[in-house]
Amino acid sequence: MILIMAWRNIWRNKARSLIILSSVMIGLFTGIFVLALYRGMIDGRIRVVIEDEVSHLQLHHPEFKKDYEARYVIGNSEELIKSVSGLRQVSAMAPRDIAQGMLSTGTGSNGVEIRGVIPEKEVAVSRLDKKIIEGNYFSSEKRNELLIGKKLFDKMKLKLHNKVVLTFSDKDNNVTSGAFRIAGVFRSANTALDERIVFVRSGELAGLLNIAGSYHELAILLYRNEDVAGVQQLLRAKYAGLSVENWKEISPETELTISTMNQFSLIIIAIIMLALAFGIVNTMLMAILERTHETGMMVALGMNKLRLFTLVLSETIFLTLAGTPAGLLLAWGTTLYISKHGIDTASYAGEVMGSFGYSSVIYPEFPADQLIAVMGIVAATAILSAIFPAVKALRLQPVEALRK
Amino acid sequence: MNTVIDAHNISKVYNPETIPVYAVNNVHLHLQKGEFTALVGPSGSGKTTLLNLIGGLDKPDEGKIEINGTDITRLSSNQLINFRLHNIGFVFQSFNLVPVLTAKENVEFIMQLQGIPKKEREARLKNLFRQIRLEDKVDCRPAELSGGQQQRVAVARALASKPQFVLADEPTANLDSKSASNLLDIMAELNKEENMTFIFSTHDQRVIERARRVVTLVDGRITTDTALVDVSHSVASVSSPPLIT
Repeated sequence: MILIMAWRNIWRNKARSLIILSSVMIGLFTGIFVLALYRGMIDGRIRVVIEDEVSHLQLHHPEFKKDYEARYVIGNSEELIKSVSGLRQVSAMAPRDIAQGMLSTGTGSNGVEIRGVIPEKEVAVSRLDKKIIEGNYFSSEKRNELLIGKKLFDKMKLKLHNKVVLTFSDKDNNVTSGAFRIAGVFRSANTALDERIVFVRSGELAGLLNIAGSYHELAILLYRNEDVAGVQQLLRAKYAGLSVENWKEISPETELTISTMNQFSLIIIAIIMLALAFGIVNTMLMAILERTHETGMMVALGMNKLRLFTLVLSETIFLTLAGTPAGLLLAWGTTLYISKHGIDTASYAGEVMGSFGYSSVIYPEFPADQLIAVMGIVAATAILSAIFPAVKALRLQPVEALRK
Repeated sequence: MNTVIDAHNISKVYNPETIPVYAVNNVHLHLQKGEFTALVGPSGSGKTTLLNLIGGLDKPDEGKIEINGTDITRLSSNQLINFRLHNIGFVFQSFNLVPVLTAKENVEFIMQLQGIPKKEREARLKNLFRQIRLEDKVDCRPAELSGGQQQRVAVARALASKPQFVLADEPTANLDSKSASNLLDIMAELNKEENMTFIFSTHDQRVIERARRVVTLVDGRITTDTALVDVSHSVASVSSPPLIT
């Protein structure tokens, strides 16, 4: 009966209750949509990290990443590639040679990471050919071709087919250099990388490094993100002499960002709900004060404090929760619609997103797995909002309340 | 006969620190089971205050009130709430039904608070609505009922908990003659058939005429306490000396 009373009580002043319900609905919608945007950004970032930057797993010589010395190559590369290719979880694989060096032109120079790739294998792992915005991907006829990021291309005021010189240390720590011609300009989602990385053919770089037929890095792309831990464990057991890292270990800042954003987005919802709580408290206080006489009468008849508290608490929870389904539905519908088209931030934020490694187009994703946490925040808001009005009601003396 | 209400030397003072006003002054009142008593007096004479004290809604500054042997002045506010629920029925001047509940729910609510099982509640509800002659209005909200009908529902609610006695504060004040007469008939019938004890404050001559005992209050003191008719159902006792001014 107390629950029936509570539900009917919230409809005694329809306009007032509808305003609060709408506030809860809009607040919840805003909170969840922000959560969906963050989720979309995070997922976009994960996609960029995996598909554009580091793949799911990378194998290196354990010493290689300390100083990127050319001598630390993966031994028995061909056999390893063959073995890993046989794993059913593996979608694609790309061996790379890597050197830290200097890119020089007639007018200037810039520090770069030179990645020697096998063009046809690299395509399957990082879709490098799809990122070419000027010129062409590696062709089979020409030698010493180089692909350069748009940011560095612009910064050094280069033109297509310009000749550049790459200088770096070889296996024996001798400084060596090679001349390359710009075949194409690429633009990835991560503009910071576009300013730092250039691609050449693996065989040409390996020749200059004096490590022909060997590789520094083996990037592995899996079919499913869920298989990362299993395959990593398998490879670690099988190739104890190699470093096997997953994308979170290679890009720890991404992992940190993901966990921080999850917490941050829930904090935003909590702040929105806290602001709403003041409105709910106000409404409930007005309701309690308007019903002083009635409350006094119920206490006079024998309604104890626990039941009175339950009544006020139920009313507040109903008032809060009644707006929740509408808020959830609105957030779900909006997210679903926008997730199909995406929000292109480039039109007003330029390359800001890209400079942090995020895709400029955000595809919001409804955070279904965080709904329990969101509902927890909503319930906590309702309970917190009920306390003050309930205390006010409990303090009523029936004889005084009945006089009003 | 059993004593239901035994109030000894009770006083209620307002503004005790400045200019003390005695709303109830040294009142002794004893009510036996089955009495039908009217508490009369001019406005401000202390009728409502006395009813509030007897009903455990307020505490006296002096004296003690025993209901069926329990000194309610010693009970905590929580104990008092529970005591009222199980021992006292209230009928208020302005009906005071819960507007969001139907007539049936208003009456059933008290029984739910008492923890009475549904089957027993249903049986009692049927009987109560028959007694107040509102079987066809059980699903009406208070706003859909006339004043007289609302007050009859309030009487049913007061009786639903099977109390020791029913306190009614000016129950006919807001009713027309016909409704007042109907209500009094029902209350008198319940008093007679179920030996239910009623004590009501009133200005209404029609109520006074139906009472079997009339206690008159002036300035917080009982000035007269008279058994009017048919003492077979009640015992009149003058508990406070008349105030002679």
